[in-house]
Formats: sequence, C-alpha cells, structure tokens
Amino acid sequence: MSANGKLKVGMYWASSCGGCDISLLEIGARILDLVQVADIAFWPCVADFKYRDVVGYPDGYLDVCFYNGGVRNSEQEEVARLLRKKSRTLVAYGACAADGGIPALANYRTTREIFRAVYHENPSIDNPSGIEPQPEVAVEAGTLHLPRFYPAVLQLADIVPVDYVIPGCPPQADRVWETIHAVVTGAVPPNSSSQRVGCGTRTVCDECPREKRLVKIKQFRRHHEFRPEPGWCLLEQGLMCMGPVTRSGCGALCIKAGVRCEGCYGPPAAVEDQGAAMIGALGGLLDATTEERARKMINEIVDPVGTFYRFTTASSLLKVGRHKEEQA
Amino acid sequence: MPEPATEKEPQLTKEQSEALGWEPRIVGFLCYWCSYTGADGAGTARMKYAPNVDIIKVMCSGRIDPELVLTAFARGADGVMVLGCHPGDCHYTNGNYKTMVRMPLLRRVLDELGIEPERFRHEWVSAAEGEKFSRLVTEMTEQVRALGPLDWPRLQRERGVGHGADLAAWGERP
Amino acid sequence: MGLEGDCANGVKGNQTPRIGVFVCRCGGNISDVVDVDRVVEEASRLPGVVCAMAHTFCCSDPGQGAIEQKIRQQGLNRAIMAACSPSLHEMTFRRTVARAGLNPYLFEHCNIREQVSWVIKDQEQATQKASRLIRAAAARASHLRPLEKRRIPIHPSALVIGGGAAGLTAARDLAFRGIEVILIECTPFLGGRMASLHRIYPTGRRARDVIGPLIDEVVNHPKVTVYTNAQLESATGFIGNFLTTVRLMPRGVNSECKDPEAAIAACPEECLDQFNLGLSRRRAIYKPYDGCWPPIPAIDWRSCTRCGACYEAAGGKGIDLNEQPRLVEIRSGVVVLAVGLDTYPVRHGEYGYGVFPEVITLHQLNRLMDPTGPTHGEITVGGHSVRRIGFMHCVGSLQHKGIHKPMRDGKINEYCSRVCCTTTMHTAAELKERFPNLQIYDFHEDIRTYGRKHENYYDQVSEKGVAFIRFDPERPPRVDRDPLGEAPLLVRTFDRLTFGEELEVPLDMLVLATGLVARDMSKLVDLYHCSVGADRFLMEVHPKLRPVEMATSGVFLAGSVQGPMDTTEATAAAAAAAAKASALISSAHIELDPFVAYVNEDLCSDCRICLTVCPFSAITRNEEKRVARVNEALCMGCGTCVATCPSNAIQQAGFEDVQVKSELMALISRPAERLAAD
Repeated sequence: MSANGKLKVGMYWASSCGGCDISLLEIGARILDLVQVADIAFWPCVADFKYRDVVGYPDGYLDVCFYNGGVRNSEQEEVARLLRKKSRTLVAYGACAADGGIPALANYRTTREIFRAVYHENPSIDNPSGIEPQPEVAVEAGTLHLPRFYPAVLQLADIVPVDYVIPGCPPQADRVWETIHAVVTGAVPPNSSSQRVGCGTRTVCDECPREKRLVKIKQFRRHHEFRPEPGWCLLEQGLMCMGPVTRSGCGALCIKAGVRCEGCYGPPAAVEDQGAAMIGALGGLLDATTEERARKMINEIVDPVGTFYRFTTASSLLKVGRHKEEQA
Repeated sequence: MPEPATEKEPQLTKEQSEALGWEPRIVGFLCYWCSYTGADGAGTARMKYAPNVDIIKVMCSGRIDPELVLTAFARGADGVMVLGCHPGDCHYTNGNYKTMVRMPLLRRVLDELGIEPERFRHEWVSAAEGEKFSRLVTEMTEQVRALGPLDWPRLQRERGVGHGADLAAWGERP
Repeated sequence: MGLEGDCANGVKGNQTPRIGVFVCRCGGNISDVVDVDRVVEEASRLPGVVCAMAHTFCCSDPGQGAIEQKIRQQGLNRAIMAACSPSLHEMTFRRTVARAGLNPYLFEHCNIREQVSWVIKDQEQATQKASRLIRAAAARASHLRPLEKRRIPIHPSALVIGGGAAGLTAARDLAFRGIEVILIECTPFLGGRMASLHRIYPTGRRARDVIGPLIDEVVNHPKVTVYTNAQLESATGFIGNFLTTVRLMPRGVNSECKDPEAAIAACPEECLDQFNLGLSRRRAIYKPYDGCWPPIPAIDWRSCTRCGACYEAAGGKGIDLNEQPRLVEIRSGVVVLAVGLDTYPVRHGEYGYGVFPEVITLHQLNRLMDPTGPTHGEITVGGHSVRRIGFMHCVGSLQHKGIHKPMRDGKINEYCSRVCCTTTMHTAAELKERFPNLQIYDFHEDIRTYGRKHENYYDQVSEKGVAFIRFDPERPPRVDRDPLGEAPLLVRTFDRLTFGEELEVPLDMLVLATGLVARDMSKLVDLYHCSVGADRFLMEVHPKLRPVEMATSGVFLAGSVQGPMDTTEATAAAAAAAAKASALISSAHIELDPFVAYVNEDLCSDCRICLTVCPFSAITRNEEKRVARVNEALCMGCGTCVATCPSNAIQQAGFEDVQVKSELMALISRPAERLAAD
C-alpha cells in the first residue's frame, strides 16, 4: 500500500487476446468504486507505465497484480518474474494464465509448423522473402533483440509461485468484482498456493437450467448439424458439452445462449486433467453395448484433443504433444 | 499442416538398450476376476515371459480412470496395458463396457499426442487365457523396447515445463 | 461409511505408518528364484517400514504366529505380505492380522509367486521385480485406512422362480431346513418339462412317477406357498432383503368347481394342445394330464370366447370368467432362479420340418411313445404305421458359421446341448424293445453319451442293429420326398464311416434331436442384474469355486437356466443352490467386502451422470442435498462410478485414487542415479 493509503493494482497481458483486460472493465460502473480505493500502477493495455517503472518499485509494492495470458516467450517469463518480485499478491487471471488457454493448443505443434503457418502459409500474409522473427538482428544503429520463442506455452504457475487463480475465458464480471472486493476488504481465503477464486465449488451442470433425462447418447453431433431441443441437456443430445468437467462460476452463460460449454473455466476442484475426466464420464454415457458400435461413435468425435483440452492443455497431465522427430 | 513423416530412426536392439542401462517399464492395470486371474493362470502353468510389466490390480476394468493411464505416461512409464474381461463376461455385468468406450477414445488422444500405438495396449483376457497374457506381455515388451524410452518427464523438461516454479527454493516473499 | 474407526489396539488409520513386511519363501517356490534375503533387506530400508522378515511358509500356523507376534511386538499399524496370489490366502492373512489386533484392511498382499517367481527365468530380474512390487505395496499401504465389513441382516425366506424339477427340488430342500419358501410358476401347472416326458434315463422310470411325488412333497409342506400363473412384475432390493412383485394372472377356475370334467367337455372351442406339442387338440378349458397339480383346470384365455358353456355345465360354481389379475408382494432373503430352458425352434424347412409331416422332433416322438399320449403309444404318422425311422442329431446345436442360420439375435449355437445323444440312444433302445422289427437309422456328427452308464444305451442299440451314419457338418444330410415313392422320405448323406460314400436312406419318419436353447430371460436379467454368457444362458460367478451363485449376492442358479443339462444334473444343481441359500439364511447376517464406493458431497456437482452408470442401480440422488448417494448394501465394489464421475467426487474404499496412484508412482519412478546420468 502506498502513502496515500490506496491499494496499488497491476494487470499484465502475456500471450493473450486482450479479452481479459477488457473483462476487468466489464465490472462497469463499479470501476468508480474501485478507483476510490485503488491506484493503477502498471497496466500496459490502458496506461503508459514502462517496465523500468516497475523495476524501480520496491519489492511487494503492488498489492495485487493480475497476470493474464500464457507464457510463450522470454519477455513474458521475465515480466512474470519481475511482477512476482514486485507484487504482494500475484493472481493468474483468466484461462490462459490458469491453464494455458487457447494459445496452449500450439503445444501440439512444432515451432517449425507454427512459424510456417503464421509467416509463410497464412492466406493473408505477404512475405515473399520469407522473413521470420529473429532473437537478434543487426541493424545500422546496433543490435535489435526480440524475445525468444519458447517451445511450449506454459501456465503462470509453471514459472513463478502464484497466490490465486481466477479461471475463465474471460472471467465473468461479477466473479471478478467479488474477488476484488474480497481482496480490498481482506476477505480472501488464506493463501493456499494457486487457490482458485472467483468461481464456484461445483461444475457447470450445477448452474445449467436444462433438464437431464438420464438417457444415453445415441450419436455425436455438432452445432451446425441440427437445432437442439430447448430445455434438455445438450450432452444427452449428442453435443460435446464440457459442462460436467468444467468449474462453475460463469452462470452457464453459453448454455443459456443455446450453445455447448467449451470448458473455459478449467477443471473442477478435484480434477487434474480435464480431458481425462471427460473421457471417463463418456465411458458411461454412450449407448453402445458392442465394440463395433462404441468404435463407430468414438470415430465420429471431431478433434478430441482440441475439444477436451481446448483451454486446459498447459494444466493437463501430458501438457505437450510429442513430435515425429522426438519419436524413435 | 503437419510435418511430413521423417525417416524412421534405426530401432534399438536388446543389446543396445541394455548398454544404455534402460529396460522398458510398463504398467498393467488388470481386473481381478478375469485378467489378473488369467495372469495367475500363466504362473500356475509356469509359463515364462518378460518381467517388464508391473501389475496393478483393480476389481473391475471399469475402475480404470483415463487419468490413471495418463498419469502413468506423464510420470515416466514407457507403456501402459489395460486388460479386462471379454464383453459379456464382466463379473459386474457391464463394467467393461465403459472400458470399451474409454480406452479407444483415449487412444485417439494418445495418437495425436505422439504416443505410438504399441505403447498403449487394451485387450480382453479371460481367467482361462494365461497363455494369451504371457504372449501379450512378451510381445508388448519387445515392441516398446524397439521404440525406446518414452520418458515424458524429460520431454516436458525440454519444452520448459516446470522449469521456473521451484517453489521450495523461492524463499521469503515480499 | 466404514472408513473411520479405530481397530482393536487403538491404532488410528491416519497415524504415521509403521509398516511390517513379511516375505514368504513358499518352501522354495519363491526363494528358489527370488533372492528373498536381499528382498527383505531392501524392504527394511523403505520409507515407513519398521521391520521386514522372511518365513518358509507364512500361511502355516507357525508362520501366521510369527507374523502376529511381530505385529504386536513392533506396534505395527500396516502389514504387507509378499507371497502367492491373493486369491489363495489374502483372506487368511487378513484374519491373521485381525487376530494380532490390527484392522484387517490395513493389510496389503503382494503377488511374487504366480506373477514373479513362477514366470521369470532370470533370478536377478525376478528379485528386482519382487523388490519393486513390495516398494509399491508399501507406498500403497501408507494410504490405507481401516475398513469394516458390511453386515446385512437376512430375511429368513426364499423366493424360488420356476416350478419344474429344479425349482421343486430347491423348494423342497429349503423347506426341509425350516425356511419359508415362496415358489412361483408362470404356467398354470407345476412340473415343468418333466411332466410331458414319457420315460427318463438312466432308470427308465416314467417321468411322472418321479415328478409326481416331488410335487406332493412341496405343495403339502407347511413352509411352502405356491403361486401358479405368476408373472414377474418388478424386483428391487438386495441380498437379505429382496422385494419382488408378482402379477397373478387369472386362472378362471377355482377349487369350488365340483365337476371339472363336465366343464371341459362342454367347451365348444378347440386349439392345439401344447402339452402334446401340437400333435393333438384340446379345449380352451383344460387339464394337461391326469394327476396334474393343481388338480383344477385352467382357462386358456387366448382361445376362450367367454361363452359361459363351462360355467353352465359346472352348475354355476367355481368358474369366474371375469377374474382379474392381482399383485402380490414377496419379501425374501434370497432368490433362486430355476426358470429352465427351451428347445431349439426348428426352422421351417430345416431337414424338412414343417414341410413334411413325417419330420418331427424327439420331444414329439416322446409324446407318441407315451401310452397316455395322442396316439396311445403307437408310432404312426398320418394314420400310416412306421417301419423305418431315422434320428438326426445336432439340430440347433454344434452349429457352424456359414452353414447354419443364426437365431434372432444374430448368433449361432456353437455349443453342444449335452443331453440329446443319450436321450436319442435311450429312445432308440425303447423302440427296439417294443417294436423289434423297426428299422432305425442314426445320423450324427458325433455321439456324446458322456454320463455314467449312458454308453450302455449306445452298445445296446448297436447290438440290436441300429445303423449309425456319421455325416460331415460341412455337408449335412438332405431330406426330400422319395422320388421313387418307396417311402415318404429320402435322406441323402455322405457317410464318413465309409470314407464319404453317398447313401440314400428311405424313411417313414425322421426324428430331429433338437438342441436346447436359453429362454428369453431379458426381464429376469434386467431385474436381477444377471451375468449372461455368450451362449445366452445365465452365468455363475465361478464354474468351479462358486458354481451356483450369481455375481449379484443372494441370487442363486438352479438347473438348466445355467445351460443344457439333464434332470439328474438339474436337481443336483438345485440341491446345491438350496444348500448355499440356506447356509446364507441360517447365518442371519451376511458380511460383504467393505470395498464400496462413497460420494464426497462437497465435491459432487449433481451432474447425475453416475445415476445410470452403476450396473446394480446402487446410486440414487438425494433430492434435498442435490448430491448423489451410494446404497452400501447394493454396491458390489466394481469402481465404475469412480472412473465415471466428472468431478472426481466418488471414491472406492480400498481402491482410492490416492492409493492406486501411490502404487503407480512407486512402480514407475526411476532411481535418482539414472536421472542424473541423463
């Protein structure tokens, strides 16, 4: 806390889409309450603080720092360590910092594949000389340095110890406000490393208004293939709703809008690997009593890895994909 | 677009892997009523097979959570074997029908993650199929030996996973 | 929940583990291959292990004594036994440990004989593996918690489903032991298949002389209640406390009817008589045979037009054409399944059946041979006497893919129906005795007169000149009308006994020895969670160790519901089921393994996915708390729900995730030295 008695707050975006920064603003008019009690001390998205400002802060200067985005390159790691040093409470904010998020899906591809797709084969790119970012480039004025591209996207907790985690893509405004409020009033639960806050204690099924008929899935389908019956569980209708293996707290927004849950709030409290939990649950849900039928239904599932680990690759058990050159 | 398949590296022989000091470490999850009893049957008949598969007993193959299989690979197993009763013969009537759905689905995930199919075997072995069990163990051991160690923890380390958060060494926090 | 609780000497489950490791030499079976001394030494250095020792025969009295002593002396609160397979002595050692004052479930059994010393040639590898498995057992043992067996009280009564020879035998044996028996039969009369048989092997007695006294014993016993015309409606409950609802279909006639014969004679409706397998006709109100039980006619509602003629003829008493079904609830401690089987439904055209009236089944021939049957014991067909008769074996049994058509479920019957060969030989023997001039031909793929003295029938009929012709299943015999008109039928076949010579056999009658198939038991299977084998018959827990028990505790199998068998075998099985069932009931309580699933209500998200996953319907929803709940008495301990729960809210005592994972980690962890060298 600074001399004027107000909390110092920071927010940083790493390998991120910017949605988490916007979500902090989603608290709407409550931001006026926030600025009564807190000063922004570092927030690249909205304010012009520099890294050297942060370096100059005393250790622990930031009362609360929200770090969103996954750690993809050396700059993001450097800033993570810096912010850890300069923050009393460091919060992994959003699915990317919590579990890897969408960027972590890149962990199933090699750097070569990623660079080829982004810098060469991307339909909207015009790169005739095949330029790729280099960590060091000599120019007239000297040497330019770019952050090194890491071989995998990591959770924040892989880099530094994290005090709290707020899951979600993005975290829902009401949950964020509750957490900020708890921090401000000192009501946050005692720090147990990487404690998940701003979320419920159950799964999305608990918040879902649809009814379960307790029937087995007959066929897997995707949203563009049919119009689901309202009021009836989407998973039972054959859409791969990740609600059962996703932490509650979002209010089942997507389901209320008529689309399946994609799992952005991460795994439930006692689950380490979200995909494993889903596969385990599906074992009991399919209408299949022969191997042929089971195989047929399983082969109908499109992109199981991308579906089951869409937001949680970095917090899953395997975390990365093994490429051909790494195999025997 | 995925990389074109590279040429296969020369496979390790038994002598070469012995020189490296490595033996395939395979975990087998066996259901008590059929496959574990089948494995006992192989013992009663004094069949000889490779020692590389360590057996974890569960009551029913339906108990085998995909999380257990993934944990095995993630923590360093070179191969995982899941055995259960033939469909229709489950002691608990239909526990193995769940296994019948989970394991092929898990295989699709493992395939995409680059874990070779020989490293994950899912088979039905009855209490009378000691011979099948011993054949399975020896066959899988040799196939995994030829592929070499999987050593997923090393793969993760090479990708930078867990390299920073040495929590014990962090010391005093501000 | 059975998870908390101190054991006798006050050791709590969550104290620091003090593990004792006991390694058995097994008289050389283990120690000849595994270096037991080294294993003991390595075990003594494991974390949590206080002492480790070896013994030549741990399961012996002195062996067990040594273990007990060590547990007390060293104040051990966990014990590990590394020995033969747990299937042999896990129970033994649990009792040993309990005698020493330790909870029997703070014990871990490690298999280093069937799965190590007996199967690994290299001694070094075997020793390393034994050590590794013990290390894993120690890791698992640290996470064990004391458990208590479940005690369920048993209602002192038995429900027997099926009123044939097996059901009657089971009912009688149970009643004789003083147990209340409720016997239900779906048809209007007791006796089952035996009632329609003529003479039975190996004694040659008349079937009704055997089943008649058995029925008398049962129906007259004060402890037995019999319901006929009873359909299974629903079944809930668990061992010791089954609740079955039965729908009693209307009989239409009761004991007040004083002139049943007149009632039957007055009936204007006729239909095929199923008792005589369609070889004769009967009235819509009927008794199948003299001496049936109950001795009261029944009305076949499919043929009855409710014209009232029987009512008039009986003097207006004892017949109620408007009788309604009623429900009866039956509470029992055990259930005995004795519903029997069916004969193979011969396809139209199979060996000419249904096309040529001269082709009949063995059972139908049996009716013809019965002096009380439709032809008074004469072997005739269409009014013509029979001089040449053929028997065709394996109709609907030993079927081959691509040659025989499958049944409605798409499967063929690859199994042998066991009893038909002896029945055929026995029938042929009686025919030769009564009609010495009868020419008999026997077409078979194989002759399996497997039982005691059954071969005698085969020898007998061989001596009397029965011609045996062996066919190749790939080229079965063909049955047609005789083009020369010498006989109604001509059977063409290739005889393997004469190296494939083609024979043409003119016959007046062809008898098909039809196989035995399981009845349509889908409702029964559903209600009692039965295991069904690939051959559609119900499956026992273990063919040798527990041959008459189902996986669902408290449900027993009696007779041919389990597979083709003859009356001797069926009644023996029924007696075994009765013995097992009464042992259960007389113990008043049953003890079940404590390896039940339980729900952590703090983690349960009310997703309800577990509700339909349990094979025994043991999980229900607590509406108030909006969480799942496992009924301990119904839980069979498979653990399927544990792997299914998407919130990881369900665990299984004795097979908790933390226990299994610690075992897993200990097995695959690599020694630090190897890691450093990488």
